[in-house]
Amino acid sequence: MTDSDDDKLLQAARRLNTGIAPQRDLWPDIARAMQAPQRSWWTPLLAQAAAVVLLVGGSSAITYIAVKQPQVPDRQVAPALVFEQVSFGTGYELGDEFVAARNALIKELDVELERLAPTPRAEIQANIAMIQEAIYEINAALEQEPNNTLLQQQLLSAYREELTLLRRVGGLTRDIMMRNDI
Amino acid sequence: MAALLTAYHSDYSQDMVIHPSDTVADEAALIGRAQKADARAFERLYRLHIDRVYGLCLRMTGNVSEAEDCAQEAFIQAWEKLGKFRGDSAFATWLHRIAVNSVLGRMRKSKREQDRILAVADVVPLPLETGDSGELRDLSQAVQRLPDGARHVFVLHAVYGYSHDETGDMLGIASGTSKAQLHRARRLLTQQLQQQEFKE
Repeated sequence: MTDSDDDKLLQAARRLNTGIAPQRDLWPDIARAMQAPQRSWWTPLLAQAAAVVLLVGGSSAITYIAVKQPQVPDRQVAPALVFEQVSFGTGYELGDEFVAARNALIKELDVELERLAPTPRAEIQANIAMIQEAIYEINAALEQEPNNTLLQQQLLSAYREELTLLRRVGGLTRDIMMRNDI
Repeated sequence: MAALLTAYHSDYSQDMVIHPSDTVADEAALIGRAQKADARAFERLYRLHIDRVYGLCLRMTGNVSEAEDCAQEAFIQAWEKLGKFRGDSAFATWLHRIAVNSVLGRMRKSKREQDRILAVADVVPLPLETGDSGELRDLSQAVQRLPDGARHVFVLHAVYGYSHDETGDMLGIASGTSKAQLHRARRLLTQQLQQQEFKE
């Protein structure tokens, strides 16, 4: 490959069509989606806040059982199973504590993201959006089948991924702050 | 390849123009109205930009159905995020960033990418309707056969004219990686086109 070929290749690339009309009009579907209730940050964060609180509650309950009844190991229940049943069973409602936790998390997330450079912030936002989209879709499916165990497990897994990511955001910003402080 | 690459006249700067009859001021006014939830204004923005957004999605995904989904998702997200658009970059660039994120997000999420690689390895993909004429069609199809990383960089940098910094920023990679991927893309494309010429 000579330099001359190379230049010609790039020149040819710049003559490729950049504007390509789609084979069908995409606007009607877009307009429909625009009219639908917007997928806000609140819904997944609300669910995430609920997951956090229930995770803490579930862990505390398991710890309590383990401490109080160490002599009966066969009665212990796997933590994940307890969490799933508590979190995603029917009749699940949010209380004031959930709302407070949600508000705190939203505030913290925005602050943490603001501290990041544009590139990692965009990456993290994209990842969060991706996980939240998964949560949104699984939640929608759960509305149809609220007792579907597989969906509940998937939802739990999505929440865990999101929490891991959020913790990572905190770690990243703390690193940045330490460097700045120096 | 020589035949493919000989005739060259640069209309690239013309390609970057969104629409001859729409000025920057018009677009700014439309954006302002759309930010106030004027769906008609947003539809006009859609009409102005859809071809380039869809073109970008099509060249990045190499798949009509996925490109349609990505373009739709990009405009829906743009509508939802329009309030955050401050005009720091051109509206087209802002839209393209969203479209690229949409493409990358879908690829990661669905893992169709892996299926696509396997499919490409086994069968010759159907040529995309990109509207490229004559011998440029060969180049267009060769681009579709590039590995993802190289293809994404080549499309953004060589076809759409973004700098390596901008390309890296959009794809979440370093500027140096973008340069390396471009070099790889050029090498692979040259090989492909030479092989093709030899067969003919």
